[in-house]
Amino acid sequence: MEALLQGLPLDYLAACDYAKTGQNWQVFLPAGSLVKAAERLLAADWHLEDIAALDCFEGYVVTYHFAHFDRPGRATLRVVAPHDAPHVPSISSVFQGALWHERETRDFHGVIFDGHPNLIPLLLDPDMADCFPLRKDPKSRVKMREFLEAGQVIYRNPSFTLMTPDAPAESQVSGGTAATA
Amino acid sequence: MTRYADMGQVAGDFYTENFAQTAQEGSLILNLGPQHPSTHGVLRVIVELDGEYVLRADPVLGYLHRMHEKMAEVKTAAQFIPNMGRVDYGHALAWNWAFVGAVEKLAGIEVPERAEYARTITCELNRIASHLLWWGAYLLDLGAFTPIMYAFDDREKILDILQVPTGSRLTYSYFRIGGVAQDLNEDCLSRIRAFIPWMRSRLPMYKDLVSDNIILRKRIEGVGVIEPDQCRRYGATGPVARGSGINFDVRRAEPYSVYPKLDFEIPTSMLMDARGRYDVRMIEIEQSLRIIEQCVEQMPEGDTLVKGAPKPSWKVPKGEAYFAVEGGRGKIGVHVVSDGGKNIYRTKLRAPGFSNLSLFAEVSRGTILADAVAILGSLDLIIPEIDR
Amino acid sequence: MPAELIRILIGLVAVALSVGLIGLVMVWVERKVAGHVQRRPGPYEVGPYGLLQPLADALKLVGKQLFMPDNADPILFWLAPVLSFLPVLLLFLPLPLGDGLYTLDINLGLLLILAFSGLAVLSLLLGGWASNNKYGLLGAARAVAQSVAYEIPLLLSVLAVAFVSGSLDLATVVKEQGTWPWNWNIMTQPLAFLIYIVSALGETNRAPFDLPEAESELTAGFHTEYSGMGFGLFFLAEYANMVVVCSVATVLFLGGWHGPVLPGPVWFVLKVSLLMLLLVFFRWTYPRVRFDQLLNINWKWLMPLAVANLMLTAFFVKLAQFAVVK
Repeated sequence: MEALLQGLPLDYLAACDYAKTGQNWQVFLPAGSLVKAAERLLAADWHLEDIAALDCFEGYVVTYHFAHFDRPGRATLRVVAPHDAPHVPSISSVFQGALWHERETRDFHGVIFDGHPNLIPLLLDPDMADCFPLRKDPKSRVKMREFLEAGQVIYRNPSFTLMTPDAPAESQVSGGTAATA
Repeated sequence: MTRYADMGQVAGDFYTENFAQTAQEGSLILNLGPQHPSTHGVLRVIVELDGEYVLRADPVLGYLHRMHEKMAEVKTAAQFIPNMGRVDYGHALAWNWAFVGAVEKLAGIEVPERAEYARTITCELNRIASHLLWWGAYLLDLGAFTPIMYAFDDREKILDILQVPTGSRLTYSYFRIGGVAQDLNEDCLSRIRAFIPWMRSRLPMYKDLVSDNIILRKRIEGVGVIEPDQCRRYGATGPVARGSGINFDVRRAEPYSVYPKLDFEIPTSMLMDARGRYDVRMIEIEQSLRIIEQCVEQMPEGDTLVKGAPKPSWKVPKGEAYFAVEGGRGKIGVHVVSDGGKNIYRTKLRAPGFSNLSLFAEVSRGTILADAVAILGSLDLIIPEIDR
Repeated sequence: MPAELIRILIGLVAVALSVGLIGLVMVWVERKVAGHVQRRPGPYEVGPYGLLQPLADALKLVGKQLFMPDNADPILFWLAPVLSFLPVLLLFLPLPLGDGLYTLDINLGLLLILAFSGLAVLSLLLGGWASNNKYGLLGAARAVAQSVAYEIPLLLSVLAVAFVSGSLDLATVVKEQGTWPWNWNIMTQPLAFLIYIVSALGETNRAPFDLPEAESELTAGFHTEYSGMGFGLFFLAEYANMVVVCSVATVLFLGGWHGPVLPGPVWFVLKVSLLMLLLVFFRWTYPRVRFDQLLNINWKWLMPLAVANLMLTAFFVKLAQFAVVK
């Protein structure tokens, strides 16, 4: 995985315990690297399993699961989108399966995918498309490092402290109280 | 240049108008569904037709959306298991397994071996029932009214067998965290032993009368060719991917339970069309029978629920886990993220039908409407699973 | 009143009554056969062996509200089922049930039948168009293309038999055939018989060529918007057409009312029933043929074969004439 994503600016890359969590690698990406990473994964014959968002204290963690047809391994790519401006580039130009997954994530959490050709409601009714049912109450949002697997860190961008157990993680916090309507 | 000079002429709802924005001159926009005899549930497909040819097709979802993922956030883990039976009524036990397996992985609970065998046997029986349902319904779409009756006759036997241990006939919630709810007693096992040769004797008849019928072959050969690259880009799995030559089955790729001990083949077809997917599913029925046979023989004595199994009010420990299972339609994935509270923080249900249907728009371009219906049937869609 | 006219009127009344009866019987036969082919009993509740089921169906259809969609054309909408049903009554008139037992003594009986069965196409088109429904329109377009296409091999195969018999008069055609099966026209014209049966399936929109009413694709096609008696008339017309087509096949190929021992009409009814049973079996056994394949079968296979058959027949008939003259 490090070889595959070499050269791209990453935030965090860790090898995970497959037997415990079902994923082999966990990668945090800045939004700018997402499409390029997706292109590289497609070229290496990975397929897109799903896209979902997780409403955490630090923002909406958009989670991409990729797996392989020919060899074992699951990679989890994550992009943290701040609560007040949840914009993430769309990978639907690379993986067309993302067209629907991203529409569903917009329905449930309100994450806007820039570059998506047709970001209309998929599962929710168009009349109530902005109710974002899976958004959490700001008081009950949990910090990422509480439950996401830290794994064995291979690379960590020094300014990315969201997964570090002891760091106060104040610079990237969007407070959890600045929830958007 | 749009067909309608004044969009006020478009008599339709939000989705039809959105679709008609990019319609061609002189084309006909038609809604297949959501009430339609052959869209397998409440699926709506907006098609743009030029005569009989489909220029564009766009499935519209959400008619059966019940927000299971939100229900997972307000129920405890044990309370959510019956929901899994309703997500996909075709292969409910696989969804049961995916969720229970994910929670067990997170909490590090090990399931006793007898329970694993019970899970495998019931799940494979359910897979056969699901494929029979698909087969009968597909042929009904293509105009043959009889095979569905025979398929349901076979299904009745399976449902009768599964009724005793699970208590349900369709929407099972048989699995528990740490095992299964009830043991498969000797009477149940002897009925399963009797079922296997009976089902084996039916398959040659289906092959002769239906699979080799020239009219059916002409309807599904060459129809709906899906390239392996498309499968990769859309994340299509299951018989859809195997019918395009991709040798991928979760039971071999990410082995779980007792599958490593069992001897069975993964059928793939290099035909890449609806015929390939059809053949793959028919062979899978035979392979499932093989698996059940071996399991019934190898099943050890023991508990069917782990000692100290979680009570219904048990809280899932902190952490995340992803567990994948091979369902009748493809790879079912459940990703649970828990913060140690009463309810699970987030449950993501990855439905195989969702990814399989998303490639319909690309595959159906340029086909005849009758072929589009044949393609939809060959994808084996169960809409509740897609909408969740 | 001239005797001719009285004869025709009596015939029409008899036909009208018997078509109704045939409809009822055929509904029962179809549902029972469907049931047993599908390993289930079929109707058995209403009356002994479900024999009164068709009556219950008929009562239901007659009792339903006559409903027309909003923007449908009222005249054409109600004309379509009537037009599909009434001409069929005329088709029964030239058919000889026994020796001398025919209503209309016309030397162009065959031509009359072929001409009036063409009216059925019009009714399909009107029904689909007047419904103001996209499904109906598509179904009607398909039905018209299918009917028009399948008329040609039908005509050609029938013409071959006319060559052999030397006349278009149905009574003559039957007289030319003998009592025993080896004297029937099916022996001299087996290919024409096969072409005729397939074309008949195409003309009457019966499975496996029932795409215009394909339930799973176009939600009942051209008769989507019809319910109650409108649908009932279409339904009845389909069965009546089936009977006509089987009767014509019997007359042309299977020796009409000829047969040992039993009286003519009994044999006629027996043969027609056998053919009808065959058509019912076809419906419940085979899947549906796709539309372009349906037309392909017609243009690429049936028509060339029918033309070849006709030319061969003409050649041999001429040869025989020369031999006789010599």
